Amino acid sequence: MSDFITIAIPKGRILHDSVALFKKIGIDCEELLSDTRKLVFENAEQKMRYMIVRATDVPTYVEYGCADLGIVGKDTLMEQEKDLYEPLDLKFGYCRLMVAEPAGLSAQDDPAAWNHIRIATKYPHVTEKYFASKGVQVELIKLYGSIELAPLVGLSERIVDLVSTGETLKQNGLVEVETIAEITCRLIVNRASLKTKHERISEIISGLEKHI
Amino acid sequence: MNDLSSIEAPLPKGVNDFLPETADQITYIASRIHRVFQLWGFRRIITPLLEYEDVLALAMGEELRSKTFRFEDRQSGRLLAIPPDITPQVARIVATRMKGLPLPHRIYYNGKVLRQTESASGKSREIFQSGVELFGLDSPEADAEMVAMAVEVLQELGFEGFKIDLGQVDFYRGILEEADLSANGARRLREAIAKKEVSALSAILEGERIPDRVKEEIALLPRLFGGPEVLTAAAKVQSSDRAKRALDNLRQVISILEIHGLSQHLTIDLGEIRGLDYHSGITFEGFVPGVGEAVCSGGRYDELTANYGFPCPATGFAFNIMTLLGALSQRPEVQASRSRDFLIFNQKEDRREALEVAAQLRKLGYTCARDIIKRDLDSSLAYARTMNIRTILVIGAAECAEDEAYLVRVSDRAGRAIKKELLLEKGLPNLEPEGENHG
Repeated sequence: MSDFITIAIPKGRILHDSVALFKKIGIDCEELLSDTRKLVFENAEQKMRYMIVRATDVPTYVEYGCADLGIVGKDTLMEQEKDLYEPLDLKFGYCRLMVAEPAGLSAQDDPAAWNHIRIATKYPHVTEKYFASKGVQVELIKLYGSIELAPLVGLSERIVDLVSTGETLKQNGLVEVETIAEITCRLIVNRASLKTKHERISEIISGLEKHI
Repeated sequence: MNDLSSIEAPLPKGVNDFLPETADQITYIASRIHRVFQLWGFRRIITPLLEYEDVLALAMGEELRSKTFRFEDRQSGRLLAIPPDITPQVARIVATRMKGLPLPHRIYYNGKVLRQTESASGKSREIFQSGVELFGLDSPEADAEMVAMAVEVLQELGFEGFKIDLGQVDFYRGILEEADLSANGARRLREAIAKKEVSALSAILEGERIPDRVKEEIALLPRLFGGPEVLTAAAKVQSSDRAKRALDNLRQVISILEIHGLSQHLTIDLGEIRGLDYHSGITFEGFVPGVGEAVCSGGRYDELTANYGFPCPATGFAFNIMTLLGALSQRPEVQASRSRDFLIFNQKEDRREALEVAAQLRKLGYTCARDIIKRDLDSSLAYARTMNIRTILVIGAAECAEDEAYLVRVSDRAGRAIKKELLLEKGLPNLEPEGENHG
């Protein structure tokens, strides 16, 4: 089945945006939006296969070559630093990776004077790298969800998290302090796939590029 | 008394014990590779497992050094290293012990190297390599020879649809030379090029003060991959003479590979900058369908032996045996490499005949073991099945005459009597001796 192209896509909004984008270049994968528990979908006519996986697992499936292509947020790629090609910025799924803290703390806080601060985040690697480049020591607390809760209950003073509208921060009394990175979704490609299937994959890349 | 089964004997992360089943397959794959190396006139050398760190480091870049296992030598107080790559060792040997011999040297090696990996990656720290090095030739024909051998090995192993991806490190180095970048800018640029991250690349270029013409050429790099059309697209690069020479060199190598009849296996990637620090010209990686990483990689390294006082052009490459095993382990011929031909089961009181028959079968090239334990045929069959032995030969079975022996096919227990004379003269018509695969 190695003449198939396999794409790993995460659930949720990215899935809808991805299906819409692929449709523009004649790749029909609407089936992915149906209400089913299937994890793998196949379009034998177009020789395409789709896998629905967790966003944080997309780079792994692509790195090992189980999927040739994947769609995933730049935040996940920055956190995992896998050896992959990232030829396209798909521009959707925009948000920012931010440092945030309680509004009360922010009023008298000076980020330039930060030292040995405690931060809760889903992104320990990115956070450590970011603060190391600023010369700030951090104590990292890895959480898997509801990061905004951490400062409210005294688990950490600050958090690093993805922010899109800022509504969740606001409702929990937090304010944005610094932007670490602007995040969008990326098309990623397995290195071996790009070489062994370069004609089909190049066609997909240049096709998508015209629509973003 | 301790219960022996409860003793824990853990291994450090990233290394493995390979039991006979897997070890046989590894041996089989390596022996097929070595056969091709030998057919091209290469001779084996064996490198040591330890080196002085400072000596080895002469031929390693930062990245390899950072992945090296190091510790102190109790005898000398000096820092020792377990090689993370065999090429620097071969370079040292050629530059010191072989410098009086006429060139070129065609050398192959087979061994394990150790590299530190990220703790959570689950990847092996031990890498099985089989590779070749060709010293004393700067001709494109030597680069083409490496690629042709890689193709021949992959064909020999039964792969189809594989690609050898060619690069030329002087091409991008030439272009980047024209752009006078800050250290930080250069590092970010390299990262973006390595990932073919077009959007990040253009963002970085916007912030750098370099001539527009050079910017355009750098921006081309992530797109310069694919078939022969890449050579045409790359010809737009005019600002760097070094890059132009690199492209000419690549063209020459490709035209020699056309003579070898290998064009259909080639792809080109001029934006591939992953090569090891010591690479200096043509580089390449081999990719097979369905495997996510390269099965072989290598390239030219003309500056390496000079670090040991013997400047000498060189090129080489190595296969990653475990990656190949992952791709091949289900193939019938690789599966078959795990099996053995005969188990001799003796029902006579006297062992003389059993030992003589076994010796005779081995002379014919069959693998043949004696089931020395006294047990019934059923237990012996169960043992043979677990151990992948294909045939049990019963000596002195009730079913056969004095000049016959009784054969039992282990897979389905089908049995028949056979004249001993016939068996020992001609072997079994449907059972080829295995011999050389396990040499």
